[in-house]
Amino acid sequence: MAKTPVFDVKDLRFTYRKSSIEAVAGISFKVHEGEIFGLLGPSGAGKSTTQKILTRLYTDYQGEIMYRGQNLKSYDNQYYEDIGVGFELPVHFSKLTGMENMKFFSELYRSRTEIEPLMERVGLLEDKDRLVGEYSKGMKMRLNFVRALLNNPNVLFLDEVTNGLDPKNARIIKDAIREFKNNGGTVFLSTHLMNDVEELCDRVAFIRRGEIVEIATPRELKIKHGQREVNVEYFDNGKTKQATFALDGIGENEQFMALLKDKTIETIHSGETSMDEIFIAVTGEEVDA
Amino acid sequence: MHNFVPLFKGEMQRLVKYKILQIAFVVTLLWLAVLFLIGEDSVAQFVPLFIFMDATMMTVMLVGANLFYEKQENTLKTLLITPSGFAALMTSKFLSAIVLAFQSTAVISLFAYFLFDVTVSFGWLFMGVALITFMHTALGFLFTVFVKDFTGLLALLILYMFVFAFPSIFYALGVFGESAEVWLMFSPTHASLLLIEFAYGLDVRTVLLPIGAVYLLVVGVALIKWVVVPKYVETAVKE
Ligand SMILES: Nc1ncnc2c1ncn2[C@@H]1O[C@H](COP(=O)(O)OP(=O)(O)OP(=O)(O)O)[C@@H](O)[C@H]1O
Ligand SMILES: [Mg+2]
Repeated sequence: MAKTPVFDVKDLRFTYRKSSIEAVAGISFKVHEGEIFGLLGPSGAGKSTTQKILTRLYTDYQGEIMYRGQNLKSYDNQYYEDIGVGFELPVHFSKLTGMENMKFFSELYRSRTEIEPLMERVGLLEDKDRLVGEYSKGMKMRLNFVRALLNNPNVLFLDEVTNGLDPKNARIIKDAIREFKNNGGTVFLSTHLMNDVEELCDRVAFIRRGEIVEIATPRELKIKHGQREVNVEYFDNGKTKQATFALDGIGENEQFMALLKDKTIETIHSGETSMDEIFIAVTGEEVDA
Repeated sequence: MHNFVPLFKGEMQRLVKYKILQIAFVVTLLWLAVLFLIGEDSVAQFVPLFIFMDATMMTVMLVGANLFYEKQENTLKTLLITPSGFAALMTSKFLSAIVLAFQSTAVISLFAYFLFDVTVSFGWLFMGVALITFMHTALGFLFTVFVKDFTGLLALLILYMFVFAFPSIFYALGVFGESAEVWLMFSPTHASLLLIEFAYGLDVRTVLLPIGAVYLLVVGVALIKWVVVPKYVETAVKE
């Protein structure tokens, strides 16, 4: 028998008051224990709304959400002992220090983890006694991440975690997410960044205008939508030109061979379709930079 | 009331860190300064009025300041995803507002008592101020939910004070006749002032006191139930 999923969501719908369209328009998915599940979609697709429903900030939804085999609505506030939530925007008291913030929130949980090692992990230890108001955007986002882990949760919700982070800090956070998973945690990750999904997610759901277009593993997506090809840039008649060939059977491709023999090759790349291109193919929309 | 203690501790810590307590204290000192200027002869008349102003207007403003910071910094959202009960969240806010009001009430009343011999029943005074602050904290929530910024809050507050001051002024001028004072109990400001005046042993019709007290309580509870809880959470979760 298959293990009970952490989340089993069926035909979830949600409409904001004063709005005529459904922000979440009938989505169904499962999140399994120990996986990193990505919700990927363009701006306004309904990712944050879905996260807010799963974290019970919005309760007047339609459809069914089962958490570990029981209706989410049947849980009391102890549900929050079990989950950690990282919001899309900074959520801290700016006139308290980073450490004061974390201490305050930590005291609201029964299970607590040590704060300093977490701060150290994300490179905030040195700034722990500075006011959060003096933090940079990236520092605040890293503090959000620490905040989400304070209660040593089993399930981690992360909304655009790498938002505002430089590559080095994005790497630190991604490594920490993977470590969380390796220790048995389950992650629900919302993002519009292909990069995050490709590096982290075991499965990804593409969401667009409140609907899930496709759910697959990053690998499956590449195989399904990807094309294996070789791109060549070569010098010809005083100009740089470009040609693309299928990777399969390239050794017998005469045109390709002729090019190699006769022209000055400038660059040559074997390309798999990038996740960005798959994103466009699946959602029909451009990825935000 | 899960987590009430750490939440209340947090509220108090923030009153200090956001300098709200300090500002409240400076305002208290200003009241004292004015009492000095007024001079011994009329101090007894003004003390109840100053405590009234502090428990009503200052409460609304300080609650507003607190809530605007909260809105701006998105902090309620992150409290809502902790195991804390909503009742505990609310109680900690109301109680911290009452602490603020008690601070100034204590300083003003003790000051007047020891320096100008203005006697008072401290028991009635603090009960009255607790009730007045409770209702005006709820009012502060109400105003904050409906306006965009602090200026908007001030405008509403001034409007509120004016609108409800008029009946009291007309009454004092004798326009309505004495029997009309029962109806004035439905002015929260009039009811508030009466409770404080009673504690100061001024000539107040005691039958009106329970009406005023119950009214303040009912308005406070009604605001919490129908406005504060639903609207406040909605605005907090939005962004
Ligand atoms: N508080 C609100 N009131 C009304 N409509 C809202 C509210 N919040 C979001 N929406 C609408 O709901 C839809 C989904 O928004 P949501 O914030 O879930 O998108 P998202 O996928 O998280 O986008 P982003 O990548 O920009 O964060 C959008 O059309 C948005 O305009
Ligand atoms: Mg979002």
